[in-house]
Parts: sequence; structure tokens; C-alpha cells
Amino acid sequence: MKNLITIGLPSKGRLKEKAVAFFSDRDLKVLQSKKKRNYFATIENKPNIKIIYLHAKEIIQRLGDGTLDMGISGLDLLNESEKNLRDKINIKQKLNFGEANLVVAVPDDWIDVQTVADLEEVAFDIRSKRNTRLRVATKYPNLTNNFLISKGVTQYKLISSLGATETYPFIGSSEIITDITSTGKTLEDNNLRVLKDGMILKSTACLFIAKKKATKLESFLNSLD
Amino acid sequence: MKSKKLSEQIVKTFKNNGFVLSEPDVLLDSEYIIQRSGENFRRSMLTFENEDGKVMCLRPDLTVASCIKFLEKKTKSKIYYSGQAYRRVNKKSSDLINDQLGIEILGSKNQPQDDFKVIKTILNSAKKIKGKKIQIKVGDISLFKKLINSLDMPERWKLRLIRHFWRPKYFEELLKRLEKNSDIDSVTFDTDKKRFYEMKKMNQDKVVAGRSIIEILKRFEKKIKDPRSFNEGKKIVKIIRSFLKINCHLSKLDEILLDFAIKNNLKKNIFKEFKSIQNLKKLNYEVKFITNFGRDIEYYTGIVFEIFSGTKEIARGGRYDDLLKSLGAKKNIPAVGAAINLNNI
Repeated sequence: MKNLITIGLPSKGRLKEKAVAFFSDRDLKVLQSKKKRNYFATIENKPNIKIIYLHAKEIIQRLGDGTLDMGISGLDLLNESEKNLRDKINIKQKLNFGEANLVVAVPDDWIDVQTVADLEEVAFDIRSKRNTRLRVATKYPNLTNNFLISKGVTQYKLISSLGATETYPFIGSSEIITDITSTGKTLEDNNLRVLKDGMILKSTACLFIAKKKATKLESFLNSLD
Repeated sequence: MKSKKLSEQIVKTFKNNGFVLSEPDVLLDSEYIIQRSGENFRRSMLTFENEDGKVMCLRPDLTVASCIKFLEKKTKSKIYYSGQAYRRVNKKSSDLINDQLGIEILGSKNQPQDDFKVIKTILNSAKKIKGKKIQIKVGDISLFKKLINSLDMPERWKLRLIRHFWRPKYFEELLKRLEKNSDIDSVTFDTDKKRFYEMKKMNQDKVVAGRSIIEILKRFEKKIKDPRSFNEGKKIVKIIRSFLKINCHLSKLDEILLDFAIKNNLKKNIFKEFKSIQNLKKLNYEVKFITNFGRDIEYYTGIVFEIFSGTKEIARGGRYDDLLKSLGAKKNIPAVGAAINLNNI
């Protein structure tokens, strides 16, 4: 079909609910397929729109390769992606849900470490005394790297993590972590504390569009305002 | 090939001066390099995953690669190398591949003598390159350390400035903060006294995320006692800035350093003992001394020099006393070396 618009939405959890609500608030009813677990959906009376449910991270990638024309995903995931991918995507609108912060967290009992400057000193200490590097576990290597380097922390090594990053300092896999948090509860419950100046990124859900599809999307995007 | 003949001549000079060929590995373990150079260096390396899933890189630098070979006890201590180094740089016009010809003295026992030997050998090789007038620029990072250690400011600030000397941009930020007397810890420091006393009663050897309780408490106490702000910041920054402006002919250096010390009410002898630099007076070349120099490579610890033919840099080198230890040597192994960059010729 000509002028077919493909939209990617998060496939799970609150982000999915809120993304669907974003459309219904604008009188666009998302119609779920009769098969409950099917990953495709449509919008009532809009035959030229196709919705695909995907992992939030995948939405960024598929916007980059042209599979999707637009999508809803997190700012954190866009900023974490490589430059050549970011260059292909525009932020159309920041949305009022999916708020979460990417932060640097240390064990509660490191009472001498309150700021990034403290962390920098401790990292050098570890390096000169033990000839190893402070290990930072994270799901966000790029954002973490840029942040730490800009704050003068250089003596560290990243440990990539896929989940339950909060456990890493206590099982010997890393010393500190960076992670995304919305209420801070998970960090707190796992005996971790955010550094006072340890905010790497304030993230929210965003409406993204593929730069190349901007003209095709114009009238549909106007109808969303 | 014109350059082939030239490199043969240079190698001959190396050999005649007692340097023995070392052939460092082309492929190195990435993690090992990151462990030494830090995470930020990852973007400069050309890496790939081998069949076992281990990340390997093409040697980014022949000095580091030669040191690794030396630590495997596979080379003599006075070596030369001739080969390619592979590194990504930000500038688009720069090459990924650098042809390097260099010498190193690993386990250097006589500092002034070995420093001179390296510079002299490199200069003799550089002579083979028919080009414009040769000029030498030289600096010495240990002089900066001597200056900082002689200034009256909190220990933590001294260490900070020394640690970040090789990162001019961040160093400048530090100076600005020092000038305004605002400690980078100025965020109110919650003396979590209650937790402090609780932790004092705990087993002091207990480890929390790699750090023992005693280590944490010691640093906590030190931090409370260390003055957080002090009034001399502005004056000290002025001294540091004027030191970093020193740029003179070697023949004038003694006079200028003495002048600098007197002007700033510093002890006259804080800069004594820099024989390696003084020795360069024996050379028949124009030598310029610059304090704000050699700040782009983290591992230099003493003398740093670059040799120019006209405006083109053709060789550079320096002393790096801590590199071998950071690569895993059990004790300190002082070292000095230099390389000719054939791409610039």
C-alpha cells in the first residue's frame, strides 16, 4: 500500500500500556489481533497504519534500518546507541511517561565516597595499590564512558551486564555500577547509593521518527498534535 | 621504494649503537591493553574477536608491544623495532597505519646517560633523512611534579593536578576550580557519623565491593580532616600558569627557572637535578625547552622530546618509568625510548 506507515511500540509492561494510551488519547484506537500473543496491531479506521510490538531497544535499531517509520522508546536507548544510528533518528516529542534516570551508584558502606571526585580518587587508589582497575558494571557502556571521562575518572574498566546489575558489587563481579532507575527503590533495597553528582542522564519515553521518512509522516504527525 | 632504503640506513644506525632487534607480536590481548590504558583507549584500538570469542587488537603502539615482549623475557633490554602500529584517530585525514622505527632501553640503570643515548641515537638516524633544519623541543614532566610538591596546598589537590597533567582540558577545569577556591567536593559532605561508628565496631578486614572496612574508614577520616577550602588558590594557579608558559632556549633555562623561583617566593633549589635536560647542551642543535609539553601521552614520567625537520615532527620519545610495572612487572623497571615516524617523512 502506498503511504503505509509502520510504527514500533514497546512489547511489554507499563511502557506498552502507556504507548497504547498515547494513541487512544488522540482518538486513535489500537486494535489488537485476535490472537493474543500476535506482535502486530492496527489502528481503527486507519488502514495505512501498521503497528509492530518490539523490544524497546530494537525499536531504535529498526528505525535506523528503515523497517520502522516511527516508534516509541526510551531516550536512554537512543543516546546509548552508536553515532551512525543516532544520526538517522529524530526526537519528535518527549513524552510524559517512562521517566527514569541513569545514575552512578556505589555500595552504601563506601561512606567516604559521596561524589564523582571521590570516586576518581578511589579509582586511582585501587590502580596504584593493586594494579587493577575499578570495575563498573553497566548496561550502558557508551553513556557511562562519556560521563566518567568528562568528570576526570579514567582508571576504570567496564563490565557489561544484561540485568540484575545491582548484585554485581556484592558478588565480586564489579565494584560499582551505573544503572537506570525510576524510584530508586531497587538500588536502595540492594544496599546501593547514588552519588550526589552521579546523574548521567534524565530519560523519558519519546516519540521517534526515522529522518528519511519525515516527509511521508508529516500529515500523520500533524494529526497527533 | 625510497623509504625502504632510508629505513635500512636508520636500522644500521640503531645496530651500530648497540640496539638489538625485537619483533613484538602484531596481535595483542585487548583486555590487557585496556587494563593498562583505560577504557577510553578502546575507541583507538582496531579490534576483532578471535574464534574463541577473545577480543584481540592490532598493536596500537610499538613501545607497549615491545614492553610486553620484554616482560615475556623474550628480548634483551636494549632493543630496536621496525614495523607498523595500528590506531584509530579522531582526525579524518590521519592514517590508521603508522610505520615506526624506534629504540627502547628497558631496565635503564643510568638515567641521564640512557636518556642521552636514546636522543643521540635518534638524532644520528634523523640525520639520514635529508630535510630541513633540525630542531629539538624538550620538556620534563618531573619538573612539574617538583613545582606542585613545593606549593602550599592540600595534598589531595596536589595529587589531582599531577594525575591530570596529561589531560590538558580537564586540567584546565581543575585550575579554574582551584582559582575560585571551590573544591570539587563542595557538595555538602554528610558526615554519616552514626554509620561511621557502627562500622568501626565491625570486623575491619571485611570487604565491601573490593574495599576493606578499614580502608574505607581511613579515607573517611582523612577526608574530614583535610581542609576543604583554602585561600591561596588564586595565587597558586597564577604560579602554575606562569610555569606552564616557560618556553625558552636551553641555554637560558637555568637563569629562567631561578628567576621564576625568586619571583614566586619559592625555594631556589626546587628544580635542581635535571641532568637529562642539561646534557642536551652538548648537542649541536637548536634545543627549545617547553614546560607545557608532552602532555598527550599518559605514560611519560620524565624527559619528553620531539625532533622537527622544519615544521614537521619526525621523531618523538621520552622516559616512562612506570609503564612496565603497569603492564605487570613485579618491580619498577625504568625505561626510556623514542621512535621515528616514517609517515611524516
